[in-house]
Amino acid sequence: MASYGKLTRHQSRTAYLFITPTMLLFLVFTVIPVVMALYLSFTNYDVLSRMKWVGTDNYKRLFGDVLYWTTFKNVAYYTVVFVPLNIALSLGLAMLFNFRRPGVRLFRAMSYMPTLTSAVAAATVWVWLLHPEYGLVNTMLGYVGVTGPAWLAQTETAMLSIILVTLWQTVGSNMIIYIAGLQGVPDYLYESAKLDGATAIGRFRYITWPQLRPTTFLVSTMSIIGALQLFDQAFVLTQGGPGNVTKTPVYLIYQQGFNQLQMGYASAQAFVLAIAILIFSLINMRVNKSEESVV
Amino acid sequence: MRKWVSLIALAGVTSAVLAGCGSSGGSSEGSPAASSSASGASAAPSGSKSSGKAVELTFWGDWSGEGQKQFQTMVDAFNKSQDQIRVKYVVQQDLITKFLTAATSGGSPDIMLWDRWRTSLYAPKNVLHPVDDFLQKDGLNRDDFYGEALKELSYNGKLYGLPLTVDARALFYNKKLLTDAGVSAPPTNWQELEEAAVKTTKWDGSKLQVAGFSLGDNGLFNMYLQQAGGTMLTDDGKTNFNNDKGKAVLDYWDRLMNQDKVYKIGFEKGLGESTDAFATGKLAMTYTGPWMLTTYKKYGKDLDFGVVPPPAGPNGDKGAIMGGFGLVIPEASKHQQEAWEFIKWWTANKDNALLWAKTSLNIPGFKPAIEDPFFQDDPFWKPFLETLEFAKIRPQHPGYSVMETDALIPNLELFQQNKQSAEDTLKKAQQQGDKLLQDNAEAK
Repeated sequence: MASYGKLTRHQSRTAYLFITPTMLLFLVFTVIPVVMALYLSFTNYDVLSRMKWVGTDNYKRLFGDVLYWTTFKNVAYYTVVFVPLNIALSLGLAMLFNFRRPGVRLFRAMSYMPTLTSAVAAATVWVWLLHPEYGLVNTMLGYVGVTGPAWLAQTETAMLSIILVTLWQTVGSNMIIYIAGLQGVPDYLYESAKLDGATAIGRFRYITWPQLRPTTFLVSTMSIIGALQLFDQAFVLTQGGPGNVTKTPVYLIYQQGFNQLQMGYASAQAFVLAIAILIFSLINMRVNKSEESVV
Repeated sequence: MRKWVSLIALAGVTSAVLAGCGSSGGSSEGSPAASSSASGASAAPSGSKSSGKAVELTFWGDWSGEGQKQFQTMVDAFNKSQDQIRVKYVVQQDLITKFLTAATSGGSPDIMLWDRWRTSLYAPKNVLHPVDDFLQKDGLNRDDFYGEALKELSYNGKLYGLPLTVDARALFYNKKLLTDAGVSAPPTNWQELEEAAVKTTKWDGSKLQVAGFSLGDNGLFNMYLQQAGGTMLTDDGKTNFNNDKGKAVLDYWDRLMNQDKVYKIGFEKGLGESTDAFATGKLAMTYTGPWMLTTYKKYGKDLDFGVVPPPAGPNGDKGAIMGGFGLVIPEASKHQQEAWEFIKWWTANKDNALLWAKTSLNIPGFKPAIEDPFFQDDPFWKPFLETLEFAKIRPQHPGYSVMETDALIPNLELFQQNKQSAEDTLKKAQQQGDKLLQDNAEAK
């Protein structure tokens, strides 16, 4: 008995030793900054000259900050449209490219391409494509007799354009994750379903979709987090305009912190954003029933 | 149990992402890029202890490429002119963020390129060194500099640097398009501007082929308001455009955009230098600054253009906005006297200011240099010099730029797209603007 305890102790010591580097990095680069930011959100920290405790002043100010809530509304709209579309498109592509046919690798590689370009560079090219008079998109529309809108400059289409551009850029990587997921679904399930006379739709509904639940959970969680932190594409494509409809919380946080030197207030804004992400992710967990096991 | 584990894991992910986005919460710690370059720069000013050796100064700016070469020319000329001080130019892409780290945790530069409008935000934090004493000791005359530029570098009666460049927007017009449309002389007031714009505009069905006049930059509201006889802020720091002056500007824009149809929303958006609407003859008149002269001159015969000062408003009021850069000395610099010598050599000496002007094609802030034929005999520089005579700086309020970008411009955009009446636009811009000014006013 005694020797058994010694062994476990030895093993656990080794285990701690192994995870120490990771935990240290996690502590230094994640835990400490987050705790610091929480503390800063209760101060009037300006990076340069002061860091006085101001209680909940920042949060009170946040409550009446109309612009901040507008940006929240913007990203909420973005998230609600973007995430389902992202899942549908990347899953659709994955199922299409999961067939073992000659040339399928080429198509996989091609749909993954946009992910490899830098967000800012891609957005810059899209600004061009979406130009109202000389852009490719409106020129094509012109051939079928439609006068396209000023995609990025009009309030109706600005956010939609951002959604489409970010979709174009992100479905590739999610497609890869889904292909991996699809290849993990055991063949015998399909085989027995076919023997029982299940249709293609039935097989998708009762085998593919439930089997992919962990994958969907991963993809949706990452998209939600990414969506709520939308910044670079929106910034390059529209600079937050027109009429504030594409301004995002991260943009405001950056502006308050680094341009206005109100790091305390910016930290409060960042914390509220973090909480919003947590809430969205929790809802996502419920919807996906992620804690139930897949059978 | 499992549920809690996953919840905690989720919280971990969220907070990691939060820290990753960065900048937001974590502030200065753990930003390796900033600290490494700061330490790289701090290596320079250390070799200055013995008096026999030259003092090494570090000069930070965010001009790279051509701009870096121009700075290097000046730095080399200064280093050659004496053997006491050695200046080294270091490009900092993210200048202000790097400065925030350097000002508090060491490695501060000795001289810094300074976007002048930031003075009202940074001077109260005591991170810039006042230069009044230096100025007085060396007997420099304040009247030799553009007064508005000095004002923009001042806070609470103290001066925090000297102006390196001054600029203002003026009206660029395409001579060929105007002549073809039967406009004999460039416009001098709003009325003539409107008439010229109407005549030069060309539509092909629903497609705008040539826009008569650019209404793409709402940020110019400030300039139009001056031309209408108004000011952006009251003396006690509130917005001052929700009145008949502001209304006059919006009515004018509305006429140009919706009745005369001389422009279309988004017309110039995303056109880079190679397809610039003015350069390619798709735009007859536009407001822009001296920084576009080099680009437009490259087109040679294909683009015959002229420049005139901004047309005056209905009551003859003139208006233009002055901007530009200065050179400042951070409070944390260990060699402020030497840094001053460098700034003085560059910005307060006729020959050197002129060398700078010719190298970089900027208008220097030092007036004696402007007297040179290089400026006076040039038909492209002359209108800018005239404009600078009456140009005013932006209001010196730490919340001004936020007010403009987050309250005024968004409402102007809605107005231009016919989503909001002129009255609502001014009222909302006032309400939201006053709030932002108040929230960002504290400057202690």
